[in-house]
Amino acid sequence: MHEMSLVQGLLQQLHDLAGQHNTSRVLKVTMVIGPLSGVVVDSFKFGFDILTKQDALVKDAELEIVIPEVGYRCSNCQNLQKTAGERPRQCTACGDTLLIAEEGNDLILQQVEME
Amino acid sequence: MCDACGCQPLTHDHDHGHEHSHAHDDSVVVDINRSLFEANDAMARSNRVHFDEQRLVVLNLISSPGSGKTTLLEHTIDRIGGEIKIGVIEGDIETERDAERIRAKGVPAIQLTTGGACHLDASMIHRGYHQLQNEPGGDAIDLLVIENVGNLVCPATFDLGEHQRVVLVSVPEGPDKPAKYPKAFTSSQLFLITKTDLLPYFDFEVAEARKEALSLNPSLQVMDFSATTGEGFDVWLDYLRELVREKKAA
Repeated sequence: MHEMSLVQGLLQQLHDLAGQHNTSRVLKVTMVIGPLSGVVVDSFKFGFDILTKQDALVKDAELEIVIPEVGYRCSNCQNLQKTAGERPRQCTACGDTLLIAEEGNDLILQQVEME
Repeated sequence: MCDACGCQPLTHDHDHGHEHSHAHDDSVVVDINRSLFEANDAMARSNRVHFDEQRLVVLNLISSPGSGKTTLLEHTIDRIGGEIKIGVIEGDIETERDAERIRAKGVPAIQLTTGGACHLDASMIHRGYHQLQNEPGGDAIDLLVIENVGNLVCPATFDLGEHQRVVLVSVPEGPDKPAKYPKAFTSSQLFLITKTDLLPYFDFEVAEARKEALSLNPSLQVMDFSATTGEGFDVWLDYLRELVREKKAA
């Protein structure tokens, strides 16, 4: 459950942003969570629900989560296969099994709506 | 600024010229596009710079509970403690037990108890390293081994500032760990298969575990040995000797 400490880091950033923009309420937070980031989306949502409840700045904030696809590049023929995260058994073009994941590791605070 | 050494976490300036657009009358929408790992990663970079200045090799050991991280350390200290000065940071949720086992070998060790957290992070290592420097012999080490909290999931996400990340799987755990917990293997440089003295009693194919891990991370180095019988252990010891020699020569 390292998601809890990641949400704490997120709340700290939101407080900093609210200070910079002179706002008192966060309405919506958009996160990008890569399928290979090691972050469990449900645990992140759970942590967000729990930790925002006691924090006036974010207690009504909506959490939107964007989950990008992962591209697996064949190390033999460079063919790129996109999946929801799972590793393909082999390259659809040449059958090679050595596929390298490109991206999918991200955990990004993309956008914040405040007032 | 750190009180103990004056070292300053590396930071880089951010451009705060965000794109603003107005969704409704008094709300403001700000594009951030910043990683939540950023604070930890900055601290980890700062740790690494500090370790490099001290010509110190730092390893981060990651595995499930019970794969033999502490036993590996005990046998490593027995075999090369005389030629390489080792220091240890132990991470556990509770108790001083592992640090006590290492101290019993005459090696400086400190225990970080996370009080429930499932991983170590870069700022815990920063504090822990300064604490270790205050232990007898803790200020003159060549090799710092961080034994992470026993967990194959969460620790893989946090850079501590180590030079090499080492993932362990013991024979009783089964050869399917790389496929089930890919991140620990894609983010590591070395994969140790431990407790090979138990191979006759378990359905574990070393070649299969090796193949699974290499299909995730082709540059992963793989070793298999038994720390207790010593079979295959010299390859690990030579690997440590080479890391320390390279760091001193750098």
